[in-house]
Amino acid sequence: MDSMDSSVASPDLGLELGFPFWVASRRRFKPDDPFFASGNLERELLAKHVALDLTEDERFQLQRMEIADANLFCPIAGCGARLEYLEEFEDHYNTRHMASCSVCFRVYPTSRLLSIHISEVHDSFFQAKVARGFPMYECLVEGCGAKLKSYKSRQRHLIDKHRFPSSFEFYKKAHPSKHQRQKLQRKAYKGGDAKDQESFMDLDAKKESKQTRPKHYRPKQEVKSGTERESEMEVETKLHHPQTTETKVVTNSEAKNEKAKAETEMEVEERIEDIVSGISKLSTVDASSPSSVSFGHRHSRGFAFVPRSVRNQNQISKREQTRKP
Amino acid sequence: MASEDTAPSHSHHRDSIKSSVGNTAANRRRQQAISIGKERREALIRAKRLCRDSIFDDGDNEKGLDEGEMVIDEEQSVLNARTAQTVQELKSSLSYQGKDATQKTIEALCALRKLLSKSEVPPIEAAIQGGAVPLLVQCLSFGSADEQLLEAAWCVTNIAAGGPEETKSLLSALPLLIAHLGERSSGHVAEQCAWALGNVSGEDMELRSILFAQGALLPLTRLMLSNRESTARTAAWALSNLIKGPDPKAANELIRIEAITDTIVKHLKTADEELVTEVAWVVVYLSALSDKAISILVRSDVVPVLVNRLVGSESLQLLIPVLRSLGNLVAADAYITHSVLIVGNDITDQVLYGLIKCLKSEHRVLKKEALWVLSNIAAGTLEHKTLIFSSEAVPLLIDLLSAAPFEIRKEAAYTLGNICVGPTKGSDNKSDIIVTHLVPLVKGGCLPGFVNLVRSADLESARVGLIFLELVMRGYPNGEGPKLVEMEDGIDAMERFQFHENQEMRNVANALVDKYFGADYGV
Repeated sequence: MDSMDSSVASPDLGLELGFPFWVASRRRFKPDDPFFASGNLERELLAKHVALDLTEDERFQLQRMEIADANLFCPIAGCGARLEYLEEFEDHYNTRHMASCSVCFRVYPTSRLLSIHISEVHDSFFQAKVARGFPMYECLVEGCGAKLKSYKSRQRHLIDKHRFPSSFEFYKKAHPSKHQRQKLQRKAYKGGDAKDQESFMDLDAKKESKQTRPKHYRPKQEVKSGTERESEMEVETKLHHPQTTETKVVTNSEAKNEKAKAETEMEVEERIEDIVSGISKLSTVDASSPSSVSFGHRHSRGFAFVPRSVRNQNQISKREQTRKP
Repeated sequence: MASEDTAPSHSHHRDSIKSSVGNTAANRRRQQAISIGKERREALIRAKRLCRDSIFDDGDNEKGLDEGEMVIDEEQSVLNARTAQTVQELKSSLSYQGKDATQKTIEALCALRKLLSKSEVPPIEAAIQGGAVPLLVQCLSFGSADEQLLEAAWCVTNIAAGGPEETKSLLSALPLLIAHLGERSSGHVAEQCAWALGNVSGEDMELRSILFAQGALLPLTRLMLSNRESTARTAAWALSNLIKGPDPKAANELIRIEAITDTIVKHLKTADEELVTEVAWVVVYLSALSDKAISILVRSDVVPVLVNRLVGSESLQLLIPVLRSLGNLVAADAYITHSVLIVGNDITDQVLYGLIKCLKSEHRVLKKEALWVLSNIAAGTLEHKTLIFSSEAVPLLIDLLSAAPFEIRKEAAYTLGNICVGPTKGSDNKSDIIVTHLVPLVKGGCLPGFVNLVRSADLESARVGLIFLELVMRGYPNGEGPKLVEMEDGIDAMERFQFHENQEMRNVANALVDKYFGADYGV
């Protein structure tokens, strides 16, 4: 099949190898191509029909057998489940690949990834170990076994060793419904003190609109210290140029210093004040026993829960004195 | 067939395993047919045809056997024993020197032939093991009586309808079979030998190669010109098996035979639909394997005649090869879309009509392959795209994209996408998007079908879905594309690819989500 093979270099889509844009071209098949198999079968059945007196049932059976012979496996990495018919895939996906976090509603295709998510995002104990320098960030590829010390270095491991795309983000933001987005926008206009929302790990939180972009967002061109750049998780790719107002620029440099103190290795994202206060009313979650892990739920773009315990890096290192590992 | 059940008080339930009085052959056949074992299934899908009845179509009855009665009803072991015994009889009659030698031989051959043609499951293995093949070769020697040749060829025909090992055991008979195709042979003998050769070539490429090397092509082609319809049919079928490849050498040789195109055209026009069917299959393989044939066929009368058949026939058996021939020709050579199926010409409207007829048919094969042809025509000029777009195909296409079995949905997707993408490229080296087609198609409800394809386990379908979504998001006016895709749960479908095992799919899906649903989405 040669229809889609012409990849066009597409820097705007961030793909060095080129994006396979649709090209309208003719497709040709060899005579023994599986495409023609059912027609060939039909030919033989029709030719022998009289002699064999086949019924509709039998014909249907034969056709089904023909289709089922094709080797069909679930394409989700690490699954490899045999699928008898293509139509089976949706059911299979819904039962085996819809592990959803009941805390933040993020959905993962395997229970392993879900539990990694829960540890990294909802477990203050995890953060404590990270702060003490233990390599806690597991490689996402099953069977690899590597553990890295930071989100960023795990990211790099995935890209270097397992050829993940550089735009891949395990902490990719979920996409809120339109209603949620509008709510966020309204709240953003109320403003808030940027410093409070400092050194915050975004945890698959709601997508923020441009207006609510954190005041600490650094445009790509800014010069940063080596470690800072390293430690910053860039959720956005090079596509977008943030809006920078004067106020933002000012607070940027202030924030930089603050950030340097924060010794965070994770992304710094602003948390909207309203949301934060709302969150603080909720209880923290002990990820060693997640409240519930649900399978088979549709991904609902709900409100993202961010436990206070996870929010602030500084606080964690203080707290860990009181908490038993 | 149902009337063969001898129990008057039982109704004829096909799924009733417990039959009534006695295991009549019809019952047994039904039972066999219900649970289709692997062996039987293989026998069904083989490109072979068992010869059960005499090729004499004038109702000549064999001595002592009513041709209407189908089956020898016996246990397999009994059958095998009888076969072995019959082979022995043949052997002894061949070594017999007396004056009735030929008659005895013919009688033995006849008995063997009946065992091989009237049994439910012909005792092919038993015949071979009994040593039948060298005896049959002897019976086929030059100068033998016609009846002897006929019976021997018939036996070989049915042995060749078996499995690979059984067919390959006939190697020594092949040159003789080819020889008896000659114009000096009796018509019936030649036809029976053609049938046998058809079965042998239906086996595999190796045997096809051998037969080609031994010179089977030319005599078979000549037989195809016979005035006897059954002979022409059988020869055409055998020829289609001989050239079906995958090695193209036989097809390439066939097209070089003088006047072959005229012969094909002539036969495609006849009233006998079965003959048309077999000849159309010859065209299928010529157009699939031989570039030289394609070049000749597209410039000949074959195309208009095929189109006529496509439009005029209702026979599934005929439509499949006719449709596929056209499909092969359209797929292989731009000449057809650009010079034959010019928009505005009558033939073009006919083709579209014929294809739409297939789309409306209930047969999966017709729908799928017609969509394939349509998608290739839609890959032609702008006029072609507009022609299809403004025809009654579009609502059918959207419907098929949403509701049909998966392999049909994929083809519908290609067609719809090709309609929306122009033949020219812009300065950014991307194909032009035909917005005047894209917008109505999206409004017509094609997006859910494409998003559904993205969710498919089949890599190619998922890719097609993704690439179309990209078109929508890039080309839909006023930047409304992303929102439309989101409303159909497109983001969800694309995000599934984050952990897809295929790296390209991950990259493509991620790139799209990053670009169109990035931080500034929804502002």
